[in-house]
Amino acid sequence: MSIFFMKGLLNFLIEINKLKEIPRTGWVLMGVKNPETIADHTFRTAFLAWLLGQKKKLNLKRIIKSALSHDLCEVYAGDITPFFYYPQLPKKKKERKKILMKWARLSEKEKKKIGEKKFNKEKTALLRLIKFFNPKVKNEIFSLWYDYEKGILEEGKFVRQLNRVETLLQSINYFGSNIVKSGNNWWEWVEEIVEDPLLLDFLKVIQKKFYGKRIRIYRSEEKELEGILDFFLKIGKLKRLPRLYWLLRKVKNPETVAGHIFTLTMMAWILGRERKELDLEKLLKMALCHELSAIYTGDTTPYDEILSKTKKSKKEILKKLPRLSKKEKMEMFLKDYQEEKRAFEKITLTLKPSLKREIIQLWEEYRTKSTPEGYFLPQLNVLAILLQGLLYEKKDKDFFTFPLWEWAFEICDHPLTLGLLEEMKKKFY
Amino acid sequence: MAEEKKFYLTKKGLEKIKKGYQTLKKLKTAKIKGEVPKILESEDLNPEYLSFQEDLSLLESRIAELEYILKNAQLITPPPKEKQNIVNLGATVTLEDSDGEINEFMIVGTLEANPNEGKISSESPVGKSLLGHKIGDKVIITSPIKIVYRIKKIRYQSI
Repeated sequence: MSIFFMKGLLNFLIEINKLKEIPRTGWVLMGVKNPETIADHTFRTAFLAWLLGQKKKLNLKRIIKSALSHDLCEVYAGDITPFFYYPQLPKKKKERKKILMKWARLSEKEKKKIGEKKFNKEKTALLRLIKFFNPKVKNEIFSLWYDYEKGILEEGKFVRQLNRVETLLQSINYFGSNIVKSGNNWWEWVEEIVEDPLLLDFLKVIQKKFYGKRIRIYRSEEKELEGILDFFLKIGKLKRLPRLYWLLRKVKNPETVAGHIFTLTMMAWILGRERKELDLEKLLKMALCHELSAIYTGDTTPYDEILSKTKKSKKEILKKLPRLSKKEKMEMFLKDYQEEKRAFEKITLTLKPSLKREIIQLWEEYRTKSTPEGYFLPQLNVLAILLQGLLYEKKDKDFFTFPLWEWAFEICDHPLTLGLLEEMKKKFY
Repeated sequence: MAEEKKFYLTKKGLEKIKKGYQTLKKLKTAKIKGEVPKILESEDLNPEYLSFQEDLSLLESRIAELEYILKNAQLITPPPKEKQNIVNLGATVTLEDSDGEINEFMIVGTLEANPNEGKISSESPVGKSLLGHKIGDKVIITSPIKIVYRIKKIRYQSI
């Protein structure tokens, strides 16, 4: 693999890491405290793309990538809403909120003008972001985004609708089903665009669950969609769960588990496409699933057990990777494995059996490194954590990444992961 | 036998689909011959074709999809003058909400819907609620929320 590719990839990963810090504009305008980031939103949109795209028999590899790339341009363009261009958006909080309670009312001419402005700004931003890549990667990311924006292929059109469904679910999470509190805009926004029959049924299921509406769809379909909705609500918790590894090191507002999954899935895509012998669809799904158990187990680190037993200072312990015998490592693995497996059983409880099996199988392959994809992903995982650590270290000189380097040196053995590790050394030291 | 789906397209939309179909067919022939066609060498390449540059199976399935669309395409034409006060496909509808604010949508078929251009699909809840209504009608869009609009104006341009 060329040195330019690695350099480009690392720059790209550093830039898209900013999406873990950029809050979504709609929530900020509505005064939500510490709202989800663009990366958090992308994580669940990608999951919606997988589960609902599978029901639609769409190209899953493409649709997951489409979901992953749909907001990448926001690294530079920011999260643009039509309200930014709204002529009467007042500065006073109360007056502004009144306007924000319903979706923007605009003429066709204004919509076109705003849409064109947004499109051009985002296009320029995306081209700037992907300039680091070779033409093949660049073309792939750009064409996926273009398809999403213009709705040319089924997958792009579907993700465009999912983007709004995901946001609607998040609005219910923040404001509940009380329209007086949430306003009309999230539903209005969804109902302008959603036209796919499956998604229209899914919206009915949301209405039944949160607003007590009676619905008329096939009973078996209703049950399956209710199960999927329950699953999406559960995984939404990962958007609020900060990574424990950073909390232990006193990082303020650290990335969430969902944010980490976003980075890892992006790495899996870009590096996975270079390994033709791997099943990329499987790798992407595995990356999305790998830490779902945190919903019930909480985020865990290799230090948890040691910190609870030792008399040494916490700072001392965290300076290096835990030193454990083979037996201790095996015991720790078995304990975590059993706890995580129980969590996975609970998380997937409402999904249909084949999907439940698939998700648990993907996690098992990752955890036991028993397939080529399951062997490769843990290497990417440690690199995603190391990169985040290096970015924290850059901001705070007291932060130390030594244990992460140790971990990466233990686990990475593929030329691609070793190449990226080398590039990180060059870039940060 | 299940009825085949109809694809409603404006004249412009139909021309675009036809052009896309021809381009993709040329691309496929070139790919099979192992050539890089000229359209792919240009820096200004239409991004619509980028996805198919590498992926032959995606290209083939898109060609088949476009064939199906063209076979089942139905051109949207403006209704006769006496029916232009009713919302139908191709209409641009001006709406006034209960606060007196104006909102506008153009109602198109699923293939041309694009919220960034103010075009919504006739199959979306908002699109569906508007179809068949006249100027002056009160339209209620209900889901959990209830939006009341009054139709102020309906326009049909040459589409």
